[in-house]
Amino acid sequence: MPDELVSLTIDDVQVSVPKGTLLIEAAKQAGVLVPHYCYHPGLPVAGVCRMCLVDVEKQPKLSIACATQVADGMVVRTQSDQAKKARQSVLEFLLINHPLDCPICDQAGECELQDFVFQEGRAGTRYTEYSKRFNPVEDFGPDVLYVPNRCILCTRCVRFMEDVAKEPVLNVSERGDRAFIGIHPESRLDHPWAGNVVDLCPVGSLLSKDFLHKARAWELDKTASICTGCSQGCNVTLDTREDVVVRVRPRPNLDVNRYFMCDHGRAHYRWMNRGDRIEAPLIRHGGELRATDWDEALDRSREILKGARGAAVALVSPRASTEALFLARRALAAFEWTGAFQVVVGDEAPLAGVPNLALRAERAPNGKGAELLGYTRAYAAAVTAAQSAAVVLVLDDPDAVVKTDGALIYLGTVLPPVAREAAVALPIANVAEEEGTFVNRDGRVQRYFQAKPAPGMARPGWWALGELLPEAERPASAADAFTQLAAAEPAFAGLSYGQLGFAGARTTRGAGAGAGVPA
Amino acid sequence: MAVLVKVMKRPVKETSYLRATLKGMALTFSHLFRPKVTMQYPEQKATDDWTLSSRWRGTHRMLTDEQGRAKCVACGLCPQICPANCIKLVPGEDEEGHRYPLIYEIDEFRCVFCGYCQEVCPEEAIHVGVHYENSEYARDRFVYDLERLCAQTHPVSTLWDPADPKGE
Repeated sequence: MPDELVSLTIDDVQVSVPKGTLLIEAAKQAGVLVPHYCYHPGLPVAGVCRMCLVDVEKQPKLSIACATQVADGMVVRTQSDQAKKARQSVLEFLLINHPLDCPICDQAGECELQDFVFQEGRAGTRYTEYSKRFNPVEDFGPDVLYVPNRCILCTRCVRFMEDVAKEPVLNVSERGDRAFIGIHPESRLDHPWAGNVVDLCPVGSLLSKDFLHKARAWELDKTASICTGCSQGCNVTLDTREDVVVRVRPRPNLDVNRYFMCDHGRAHYRWMNRGDRIEAPLIRHGGELRATDWDEALDRSREILKGARGAAVALVSPRASTEALFLARRALAAFEWTGAFQVVVGDEAPLAGVPNLALRAERAPNGKGAELLGYTRAYAAAVTAAQSAAVVLVLDDPDAVVKTDGALIYLGTVLPPVAREAAVALPIANVAEEEGTFVNRDGRVQRYFQAKPAPGMARPGWWALGELLPEAERPASAADAFTQLAAAEPAFAGLSYGQLGFAGARTTRGAGAGAGVPA
Repeated sequence: MAVLVKVMKRPVKETSYLRATLKGMALTFSHLFRPKVTMQYPEQKATDDWTLSSRWRGTHRMLTDEQGRAKCVACGLCPQICPANCIKLVPGEDEEGHRYPLIYEIDEFRCVFCGYCQEVCPEEAIHVGVHYENSEYARDRFVYDLERLCAQTHPVSTLWDPADPKGE
């Protein structure tokens, strides 16, 4: 049933929103961001910070936009003198106790207190006699530090642990100006999703130990990407500084991960910065691999494919892009083809408060994509088949152990033992260095974007594999490769990069698989 | 064909060089009795009526706290503001949990001495100095590391006139 719409005016802008919408969300639709601290769309409303005070016509007092539901014909002014003055006072109160240590605070540059004080706060304080509090930094958990001095008691972290993680280990201890965030004395903040409190904290009170002092917020370049930690496919932002990935943060996607990501995914970025990469194509001369250029390496690969007949085996990584997986199969189209991948399995860690969101046991961001393209999980059988195959193609699967009588073509980011047996080893880009798509476990196709350049001569996997095709069929870009894929595979029919955008879209065949996903 | 040259007849008073010479000598010798204006650099670096401006922007100096540690907290604002991109900063944390610069280097060759680093510094740590004698035997000596910046003793620039902060 479609929701009943109500119309209201916010700062002279007319908006229509579903009944029951909060004023703060309606204001976003009117293009107004009401300053707020305790409100977060992923958490229950608390209404404790009093920052989002707005003026509602015909109401005697100011209302907090985060806990007021819209009503038909409401006239809201966020910028009236009264509302502005009230918010200014709230900011002034917050700054009585907040230290001005922005130069050494990791949050500086992405701090909501900084932003809103700069936007509408007072230039000076009137509480010059009042001495600031000083409490030592506390170690909350494996990756979380608590700096009580900077805390503005918005309670987002408390509500996250209580209502979303369902492991209420945090609370507000003491009262009044002595209040601070307390942790249960016998617990640690070691929930697998606890890292989210750092993102939720609007100020620099909860800090990530991993990111501590690593970079300043304004030095970071942000790229939309997909987490490679498991098959959930959480939308993330890769923060890079001088072409090094320094942090991974969740990117809101209401259909997949809402506003959250797990600590496993958060810590799972160091491999993207590995220094021991293959930087040039290698081809076998006599007994050893020798560096060469792309032309020669590709010529050699095409020769191998052209000269061989019979069976071909592709051992692929479930971390390869859908485009590369598709083109790997296509390049071997003339053969009797077997494709397989192996999946690393770990512990499953669900986020209790969000349906269908968990750190999945299968640590394979594109396992579903590989399955849709005909790759199977019968990895051991494929390895056996590889022994007698004419061509074996290994796509970025460093753990592969293959003995074969045929020719081995290896595409990868690093040079594991299997690559040393190869006739040709081609350097390819990793997930942070190329554009592509992953299909998550629910059959949702999601794009990731290039965050940094690939080292040396490494090129994206779709390019290297595309070059093995006849000249007329070679894709010119990742988008082109995906168009070919969509045309050839019924599961991907009708999809294109433009349509996927930043949010992704369901495959047609995978649509039934992920029932129970929140809309 | 003979060339005709017209010879001007002028009075001796005007054609005699003696008079002009004496006039010049008189000017020269008169300087012996005027106040001296030449500064005897390098023995002398300032005179009563001329010193380097207190707003001079020369090579940098890092100020230190009572324990002799650099006041810098590695906030990253100076490398950010620097138009010449001459400041290299890597932050770290000491045993007491204080943020401090692990590496702080200024390439004085690249520096354009704009003074923005001093202006932006929230801790009043990095300063441009009232100093101009910077000769070295090797080019790489012009990359000043933290130790060297702290060891500088020259006065620091005031950047603006304290009596007239809004003036030019």
